[in-house]
Amino acid sequence: MAEKLLASATEATRYQREWFRGLREAAAAGGPLALVNADAPQEIFRAMGIPYVVNQWWASVVAAKRMAPHHLELLRERGYPDHTEQYSSISLASLFGPEPQHTPWGGLPRPTIVLAETVGDGGRKIFDVWGSQPGITYYALESAAENTVPVNWWELMPHDWEKAVGTARLDLMVSELENLVRYLETTTGQVFSERALRRVLDLVNEQAEWNRRTRDLIARTTPSPLAVTDSIPSVMIPQWHRGSVWARDAAQRFYEEVEARVRSGAAVCEDERARLMWIGRGLWYDMDFYRRFEQRHGAVFVWSMYLAIAADGYPRYGDDPLRTLAARFAAFHDQLYTPPWSSEWYVKEAKLHRVDGVVHLVSDDARGSYFTNRALRAAGIPVYELRADNVDTRSFQHSAERALEDWLEQEVLRR
Amino acid sequence: MATPLERLAGHYEHRYPVSWDGLVIGCVGQDVPVELVTAAGALPVRLAGRPGLDVTEGETYLGRGVDAASLSVLTRLLAGEYGRLDRLLLSRDCEASLRLFYAVRELRRLEPGLGLPETHLVDVLHLPHWTTTRYVERRFAELVAVLERWTGTRLTEPKIASAIMAHDARRELWRAISLLRRDLRLTGVQALTAFGAVVPVVEHNRLLRQLIQSDLDVHTGRRVFVTGSSHDNPDVYRSLEESGCVVVGEDHDWGDLLAARLVGEPTLAALVERYQYNGPTAARASISDRAAHTARAAVECGAELVVSYVRRHDDAPPWDFPAQKEALARHGIPAVMFEHQEYGSIDLAEVLVG
Repeated sequence: MAEKLLASATEATRYQREWFRGLREAAAAGGPLALVNADAPQEIFRAMGIPYVVNQWWASVVAAKRMAPHHLELLRERGYPDHTEQYSSISLASLFGPEPQHTPWGGLPRPTIVLAETVGDGGRKIFDVWGSQPGITYYALESAAENTVPVNWWELMPHDWEKAVGTARLDLMVSELENLVRYLETTTGQVFSERALRRVLDLVNEQAEWNRRTRDLIARTTPSPLAVTDSIPSVMIPQWHRGSVWARDAAQRFYEEVEARVRSGAAVCEDERARLMWIGRGLWYDMDFYRRFEQRHGAVFVWSMYLAIAADGYPRYGDDPLRTLAARFAAFHDQLYTPPWSSEWYVKEAKLHRVDGVVHLVSDDARGSYFTNRALRAAGIPVYELRADNVDTRSFQHSAERALEDWLEQEVLRR
Repeated sequence: MATPLERLAGHYEHRYPVSWDGLVIGCVGQDVPVELVTAAGALPVRLAGRPGLDVTEGETYLGRGVDAASLSVLTRLLAGEYGRLDRLLLSRDCEASLRLFYAVRELRRLEPGLGLPETHLVDVLHLPHWTTTRYVERRFAELVAVLERWTGTRLTEPKIASAIMAHDARRELWRAISLLRRDLRLTGVQALTAFGAVVPVVEHNRLLRQLIQSDLDVHTGRRVFVTGSSHDNPDVYRSLEESGCVVVGEDHDWGDLLAARLVGEPTLAALVERYQYNGPTAARASISDRAAHTARAAVECGAELVVSYVRRHDDAPPWDFPAQKEALARHGIPAVMFEHQEYGSIDLAEVLVG
């Protein structure tokens, strides 16, 4: 694994291990536990004091430990597909009792409720399986779509989210969240306080503002002060704890550490020859991948979606807390995966970071890549499409790295 | 003189282009409420792909992870294979249809020279909750306004009621077709023909009535129920039936599921509920609903075997299969799944042994 340069990354990693130990103990004591999809409103659980685990976070831990193949095998043994939606289904495999040597950190504790939106065709089915297990309820949220949307969502979202998302989608999600609150009050005995939710939302916005400062600082700094392998844990571990004081403070510490590196002129690669953008999910099973191009070519991955979406995708301000929260998630997926929102945002970010090239990880699913690649190329930015899944090692062709290096030499470094 | 079945086959095998003086509206997915299109005086034409077509162009825009049936539809749209389509209505009956909508929307924005028609998404959602019903009501109200703008026709309550009754009558006739098939008086290919013929609803109903009243041969073969991916063409059914089977029923939306639920009442509110609760399709229903439905339908059809045919990149059916198989086993019906199949074909080498 790549050595972590930042104390904030090391501290975040330490914190999540400690938190996870406490979570396992609480679950073992019989308390409620939620498994929540990454793009679902976790803030409700935070406000009610119900512990939760993020589905894709756990999958990333399993993949980073190189345990994903065994988990996929467990799905196959039960007749479920191991070739679709792997990022969302690995946690389900953890439920099927992998041997202790095949599961990280003592294993995923059994949740009592699973919250996820009905995105895609296979995604919902994964959560159906969760819901068919004794003692687990699947609370499904709709995933709605809009006919016409203003392109500049990143400018509208903080305050003018009603215009960006649309009233129909917001009304739907607000009504679903009201019912979720009632369900949780009834089944867990926990109290929902609107004051508590407001406090959580304030903390999330403060965290997002720190992330925005960090993103902007990295964007304008050459050579890059840090690697994405550092920024990802420093931003994402706090992201899954957002709405807590620790997470807000962790985002601040991250900023301060990056700012100190910038002031001291520290660089992740002294001989920086090219700035690269990584579009797509993290390649969890080979995080060293990002660093190899620094060492061999002076090409630094300065951008991943994790910090950028933390900066642009989360801030929401409003008087009605539940509607404001709905505005964060009623179209979250679109920000990253639906043109024109996704494609135009990637171009905006590529220009902001003055990248010389883009590596676009494209897995074998329905999200597609054409419109993003087209928009970037139209902006004069070379794009390399790397075809692989981010957790399923079987999908990664080792010849791809060589091909990427050829592209780097010919399309990026010679420009 | 052509028989009713031959005339329906003509409207099925040569679905496009259609001959119609008024507005022709291409429809993608079974979640488009065709009643409202009919009420507006336009002709709804459901778009099917074409197996064997080189789908490179569709794949360029939609990517490699999308069901080839949808790649084929986009390729045909771009090539003008459907003839005159004045407007498009897309539903999100599956992820591929939604992605198709996004691609068309973006191509119209970026490449207006392609000449793709004005497009509207009908966002029918399916969770069994009142909150969803209210959302779909709003989307149907929007669709009414869009159709009024497109056609210049006001969609009055009597017009909507009349269209609902005509389409419900067709669903009743389709149910009668399904019963004929269960008696082996129609094959699976013939039933798909009766379901999928592209013809105005009133004329379609007339032909279906004639078919029901006509003399029909009795077929023989192993009674097979088809689940999994949908079939917008008869090729897989033909392969199965040429190998000694008769497809006596299915649970996809180019077949029996089209008639699974009537509107039942000539109102917009009833129409909303019909579309929200119609199904259960593989892409939009829960695993438990699918398993219960497949087992019940297979028993009603007297199926001896259930074949789950699953195309590459059709993600939902493989998740359904373990529960379907278990539910069918309780009725003594074996089930077999064929995954990673190509559009329009089934690898029979490993099928139907025993």
